[in-house]
Amino acid sequence: MRSSASALTALALATSLALAAPARALAADAKPPADPPKHPVVDPHYGDVLFEFFQNHYFPALTKLEVSQHFERMPHHADEAEVLRGGLLLSYGMHQQAGEVFEQLIARGAAPSVRDRAWYFLAKVRWQRGLAGPALDALGHVEHPLPGQLEEDRKLLQANVLMATGDNAGAAALLTPMVASKGAPLYARYNLGVAQVRAGDTARGAKALDEIGRMGMPNEEQRALRDKANVALGFAALRDGQPQQARAFLERVRLDGLESNQALLGFGWAADAMKNPKLALVPWVELAGRDPTDSAVLEAQLAVPYAYAELGASGQALDRYNVAIANFEHENSNLDATIAAIRQGKLLEGLMARNPGEQIGWFQTFKDIPLVPHARHLTPVLAGNEFQEGFKNYRDLMFMSHNLADWRDQLGIFGDMLATRRQGFAERLPAVSTKAGAMDINALQQRSDANAAALREAQSAQDGAAFADAKERDLRARLERAQAALDRVRDDPSVADARERLRRVKGALAWQLAHEYATREPGARAQQADTEAALAEARAHGEALARAQADEPARFEAFARRIADLDTRLQALVPRVAALSQAQAQALDDLAIASLTEQKARLAGYTAQAKIAVAQLYDRATESGGDGEPAKEGDHAAKP
Amino acid sequence: MLKRTRALLASLAFGVLAAVAHAQGTGAAALPAPVASAAEAGSLDDRIQAAKADVISLNRDLMVLEEELLFPASTQVAVFVSMDVGLMFDLESVQIKLDDKLVSNYLYTPPEVQALHRGGVQRVYLGNLKAGKHEIVAFFTGKGPHERDYKRGTTIRFDKATDPKYIELQIKDDQNKLQPDFVVKMWQ
Repeated sequence: MRSSASALTALALATSLALAAPARALAADAKPPADPPKHPVVDPHYGDVLFEFFQNHYFPALTKLEVSQHFERMPHHADEAEVLRGGLLLSYGMHQQAGEVFEQLIARGAAPSVRDRAWYFLAKVRWQRGLAGPALDALGHVEHPLPGQLEEDRKLLQANVLMATGDNAGAAALLTPMVASKGAPLYARYNLGVAQVRAGDTARGAKALDEIGRMGMPNEEQRALRDKANVALGFAALRDGQPQQARAFLERVRLDGLESNQALLGFGWAADAMKNPKLALVPWVELAGRDPTDSAVLEAQLAVPYAYAELGASGQALDRYNVAIANFEHENSNLDATIAAIRQGKLLEGLMARNPGEQIGWFQTFKDIPLVPHARHLTPVLAGNEFQEGFKNYRDLMFMSHNLADWRDQLGIFGDMLATRRQGFAERLPAVSTKAGAMDINALQQRSDANAAALREAQSAQDGAAFADAKERDLRARLERAQAALDRVRDDPSVADARERLRRVKGALAWQLAHEYATREPGARAQQADTEAALAEARAHGEALARAQADEPARFEAFARRIADLDTRLQALVPRVAALSQAQAQALDDLAIASLTEQKARLAGYTAQAKIAVAQLYDRATESGGDGEPAKEGDHAAKP
Repeated sequence: MLKRTRALLASLAFGVLAAVAHAQGTGAAALPAPVASAAEAGSLDDRIQAAKADVISLNRDLMVLEEELLFPASTQVAVFVSMDVGLMFDLESVQIKLDDKLVSNYLYTPPEVQALHRGGVQRVYLGNLKAGKHEIVAFFTGKGPHERDYKRGTTIRFDKATDPKYIELQIKDDQNKLQPDFVVKMWQ
């Protein structure tokens, strides 16, 4: 008997958990990949990309990265930059492009560490596209542990993929050592429990979940996971016909958590299973008064009169059924109002007002949205992956639409700037050309060459006179004239004295010039070098000017063509992005309305059930020979 | 009653699934984006992906044009700020003068400082300079050791040729002096 009960428990738990998906980190897919490995940044432009990336400015990071790749400014980080680019594209929902980036990295034989990360991200891309098999295949190519947090993410991803492909034992084997390590994430432990139960190791799985169900948790996310484990265990016990055990599990669930409604409903059904409808009324009455957008609350509104009927309080049961019908109708009209607001485009307007930043968060706990009445009806659809992805697309498109508008203004400025430059060039060119033409560089070159030859001659003769300054040259000329005059009176003894004096002065000058040679020659040499350099520069300027005359108009023309081409692309993209934004908005509205329509159908079903129950109560009252009104107290009513 | 309990349990089992999906963050079931829904939303999603790719590629080409037009390689000069450890200095602002002309006076936000600590390098200035000799002076202000206000300047002269010039202002920790150190690194 004991083993049979145990087998039943195992079966119930397995069935209950079979539907449960593994949990994973809340923001795992909302963020681009983890930080690139920390190592010295060699190329500053790669560092500039990281500067944006680390501040979650993903769009500037992506565009800066691609610009620097264009200019080949990150040669030392080429592969790292590609991994980052793939991750950034992935964060923009561009799975296809991200996949191509990673595939190319792998194909070109990047370094093993880069290749491993590329395989991991490729697996993530495939997983997000719903391709579990190929994702698993990509994970199989990761050869070495990934850096930092990425390794843990890889294991969790692999466990999720294994569970999705039915290899629960493989997932459990992967998660077991992970959970054993200190600081392992709680959702890994939860997933391990789920994987063990699914793999048939119910005892261990249930034990793991029970441990989570008893743990003290430091934060809301973990407390929510604990509640989830307890609810799963509670309903498994309930299904297994162990209501007391079920109540023990469900009692651990917080009254204000996301799971509390499910727990209260189950708590009541456990009491009912114990044949104690009075006890069931306690949680059900509490639940029936809660937010009626939750199906559990609607169920409770039917369960409460059912319990009254079970207790024989047909009158109260009837009142409660009538209240429930009124509530359902009220909710139905609320849903109509919400649908009408969505059709007027208020949903996205309100959500955009709620998410003004560049990045979005998951808004599963939204209780109200500006402009949308009774927005709580939308909580399930807003929390859904399809809506979140679609809304992210919508926000990205809106951002890009603003970005394109900014560039349209900028491009106009570039065009004006180019026109001004072109005009300035055309205006200045004649004056500059005239000035350049007035300078006869060839004549100057000849003079410089003559000077160089004279310098060489003076150097070879060590001729100090060649470096005489103007005063000395003047003095030399005077001395020559005096010499000539004395030569004309060569026989006159009265000038002998003057001749001697002239000889001495000439000697003194020659000595002085010879003495100065050592200091003047380098100066002259340097001056000659400066002259030649200036001449070369003038010649280069001349050539540059000639080139500019030929090239600049072509350059201006090339810029003008680029501006025109980019403007054409931009003009084509603006309406395309606008149309896609509209299509995405429509798709999101349709999604929300479909969810609300489902809720309306569910309400109609509940209303019909309640009305049938009321009719049954009246029928039974009539059959029992009364006046057609159900008895108020002590009368036994039939089960609805 | 049994039938009703079964129906309720079925709906609750669905509730458990939905609740687990909440914890996933994405709200997805075990296998995300199943083929059916992907096919339905695929065309719009594919078109959006393609448009995003085109916008990103256009942005790249526009930025390349902007740089080539406004900051041609022959005159381009870029100044970067980076931190190596930087535990001894809590950066608040940096002021940069090029040839005695103030070109940047930048106040840092905490996320920016955090990004520098994590290995980011900020391009704090991008401009043009003629070829020849130039001087850059950078002043860093912030909190130094023992939470004291700290201001340090560093000067370097450099030659600008016809290639782009990249100057990196590095904030380092000098473990010997137990003080921050400011180093200028010329890339080209």
